[in-house]
Amino acid sequence: MNHQQANELLAALSLDAVDEHERLEIEAHVNECPKCRSELDGFVDVAAALGNSVEPLPEGLWNSISSRIYDTDEAPLSPPLLAAGIVPLDVAAGRRRRRRFAARPLLATMGTVAAAIIVVLAISLANTSNHVSKLQRQLASGNYNVAAALSTPGHTIVDLESSSKRDLAQFVLLPDGRGYLVSSQLPALDSNHTYQLWGLINGTPISMGLMGSNPTKVAFTVSGAKPSVLGVTVEPSGGSPTPTNAMIASGTFAD
Amino acid sequence: MGMQDISEASDAQLVTSIGRYSEVALAEVYRRHGGAVYGLARRVLNNSAEAEDVTQEVFLRLWNQPDRFDPSRGSLRSFLLAQSHARAVDAIRSLNARRAREMKDAVKVARGTYDMQHEVWDLSLADKVTRALEELPEDERRVIQLAYFEGYTYVKVAEILNQPEGTVKSRIRAGMRRMRNVLTEAGVQGVET
Repeated sequence: MNHQQANELLAALSLDAVDEHERLEIEAHVNECPKCRSELDGFVDVAAALGNSVEPLPEGLWNSISSRIYDTDEAPLSPPLLAAGIVPLDVAAGRRRRRRFAARPLLATMGTVAAAIIVVLAISLANTSNHVSKLQRQLASGNYNVAAALSTPGHTIVDLESSSKRDLAQFVLLPDGRGYLVSSQLPALDSNHTYQLWGLINGTPISMGLMGSNPTKVAFTVSGAKPSVLGVTVEPSGGSPTPTNAMIASGTFAD
Repeated sequence: MGMQDISEASDAQLVTSIGRYSEVALAEVYRRHGGAVYGLARRVLNNSAEAEDVTQEVFLRLWNQPDRFDPSRGSLRSFLLAQSHARAVDAIRSLNARRAREMKDAVKVARGTYDMQHEVWDLSLADKVTRALEELPEDERRVIQLAYFEGYTYVKVAEILNQPEGTVKSRIRAGMRRMRNVLTEAGVQGVET
C-alpha cells in the first residue's frame, strides 16, 4: 500500500472501519510515515470525541478489575502446578509475573516435560489460570510441542504487536533455541503470499522461516546468537532473502 | 504518591505510577475515564454485560502494559476510548448473532431514524461535538455513524447504503476532516476529562 492509498484510509482506520488486511498495511505505512501518523492521531481524537459518552459505571465492575490485576497470565499458580515445576519465568510481557511469582518450583527435580503435561491434564482448573488454559488449548489442538515448550522451565514468550499495539502473534522460545508459534491473530493471506518470520541479530534481519499464508503451526530454530527482536513481514510465496515489506508485527525479547 | 496527590496528578503521571504498580493510580484512572470507556463499549455493543467485559479488558491491559500509552500521540481518554472501541468492534464482528443484527440495523438506518446528536452525551464536549456534527452533510454523518457506532467496515457501509466503496471512503475522510477542523476551531485538542 503506497502513501496515497494509506492516507485515504486513515479516517476509516480511526473508526475501526477497515478489515484486518487493510489495517495491517496501513499501520505498516503509518509506522514509517510521520505525516500519516500525525494525521491518524488527529482522527483518533475526533473519534474519541464522538464516542465520549460517559455512563454511570456498573456496581462491582471495579472490584472485578481490581481482583483480576493479580491474575496472570494472570492468576497465581495453584499448588499442583507449582509442584509440577511449572513456573513462568521472566517473559517479555512479564511485569505482572515478576511481581507475583516470587514462588519457586517446589519440586523442580520432578518435572520432566511429559510429567508436567500429565499433571496439567490431571487437574481440572477451570479458569484458574490463563497459563493452564493456554496449555490445555495447545494440547487439545494436538500442538504437543507447543504445550511442552510452555511447560519447560526457562522458556521465553515473545508477543508480536502491530504498530498500534494490537497483539498479532505469540511465540515461545526454549533455552536450546527451538521456537514455536503459540497463537496467531494474523489474517489469512491469498495463496500468492506468505508470512515470513525474522530475527533481528545485531541489527540485521535474519530469516527464521516461512509461516505460510494462514499460520497455525510454526516451528523454527535459533542457532548462534539470540535475536533481540522477532518480526513478521508479508512476502511473496516462497519467501525472500531479506524483508521486502515493512514489519507488520514485532516483539522484543526480555533480557 | 499520596491520596491527595493522586487526585491532582495528571493522566500521564498516573500512567507512570501504574508502571510502578500503583493500584491507587489505576483506580484513579478508572474513576476519571471508566465511565467513558464503558459508555462507548455499551453504545457499540448495545449490551451491558459485554460492555463490562470490554471495560475490564481495557483497564487490565493498561495495568499490564502501561507503556502502550504514548502521551505524545494524544490524551489518555482518547487512547482508552480507541482501545474500548476496537475491542467492542472486534466483539461485535465475532458474534454469531451478527447476521441478524445487521439485517435489523440496516433496515433501521436505511429508514433514516438516525439522530447522531442524541448519541453523544458527554457534558463537557456535547455542545461542541453536536455543533461539529451539525455542520456535516447528512451523507457524511451517516457513513461515520454506521462505521463508528454500528461497527461496520467501510466496505459493509457501502453495501448497506448501496454506494460505491470509494464514495464511502471519501465521505468518511471528508467528514472526519471537517469534524477535526470544527473541533479544533472550537478549542478541542483531544478528549480530556
